[in-house]
Amino acid sequence: MPAPDDTPPGAPLPQPPAGFWPTVGRDLRLGVIAGLQTFWDLAKVMIPAYGVTLALQQLGVIGWLSNVARPLMSALGLPGDAAVPLVVGYVLNIYAAVGSMQALHLTAQQITVLAVAILIGHNLVVEGAVLHRAGMNGFAFGALRVVAGLAAAIVANLLIGLLG
Amino acid sequence: MTEFLHTFVGGSFDLLLRVFLIVVPIMVVLELFEGTRAFRAVVRAWARVVRHVGLDERSAAPTLIGFLFGLAYGGGVIVREVRRHDISRRQVFIMSVFLSMVHAIVEDSLIFIALGASIFWVLVYRIVWAALVTLALTALAGLWVERARRRRGGGLDG
Repeated sequence: MPAPDDTPPGAPLPQPPAGFWPTVGRDLRLGVIAGLQTFWDLAKVMIPAYGVTLALQQLGVIGWLSNVARPLMSALGLPGDAAVPLVVGYVLNIYAAVGSMQALHLTAQQITVLAVAILIGHNLVVEGAVLHRAGMNGFAFGALRVVAGLAAAIVANLLIGLLG
Repeated sequence: MTEFLHTFVGGSFDLLLRVFLIVVPIMVVLELFEGTRAFRAVVRAWARVVRHVGLDERSAAPTLIGFLFGLAYGGGVIVREVRRHDISRRQVFIMSVFLSMVHAIVEDSLIFIALGASIFWVLVYRIVWAALVTLALTALAGLWVERARRRRGGGLDG
């Protein structure tokens, strides 16, 4: 889709409208155009990413990854089962992760530590697609968020233990 | 398979509706208020904060939107800004790192706070962590770009 202000270099600028209401009218029009354009930009990457996410879920990737992540959980002071909401958060989103946290019996500290990890890394496929649209590498950012989130959670767990 | 398609179509519709209902109003409000003194004051105040992670005044508005409403919406504004002005790749990189660590500050944090997580660790600690990671990665990326440039024998861009 072409940009609305895609005028050739050197072309005279359009006259800005005079008066309050004409200005508001122009801004509304430009806002709706920019909104629709951005909506379309995001939809193009988010819908395929959402399909990939659903497919990963259907293929049992969440259960498989949770088993892989299980031994890691003790480094965060969490039970092995906490790997499930973590991976659910990575693949799906925060709401799904919170849903699967309800099934576990966690202490306040464990909830906080798990929250830090999930808040930094979640919805990696869809949000990775958005970052890709902004010109970044979605895979690298997904990996970064997993690693940085786990590291933040480990440090938080240690600090909460120290500070009481 | 029909089950899958059913979920996909329903979920896609929800997702699109959500994005639409947030993105279009954000863009309209931005367009209406971008030129006003109050808006510029808010953005300038925010710019003074995010200056510490290496973001300039032009990156302040997209960063604020992402920080408040979510990565997708901030990403949308970033895409818009990149299309309108030339924002450097370095600025886009810094924004992306910072926002990928912390975004949708109200909505996302509240869900976990409601569940019993500590406000301090979920908000303050996470923001500090995001700032540290952003500074560290920007420094690393700077070194990497510099090295790549030197190996090419002094290219023009990084």
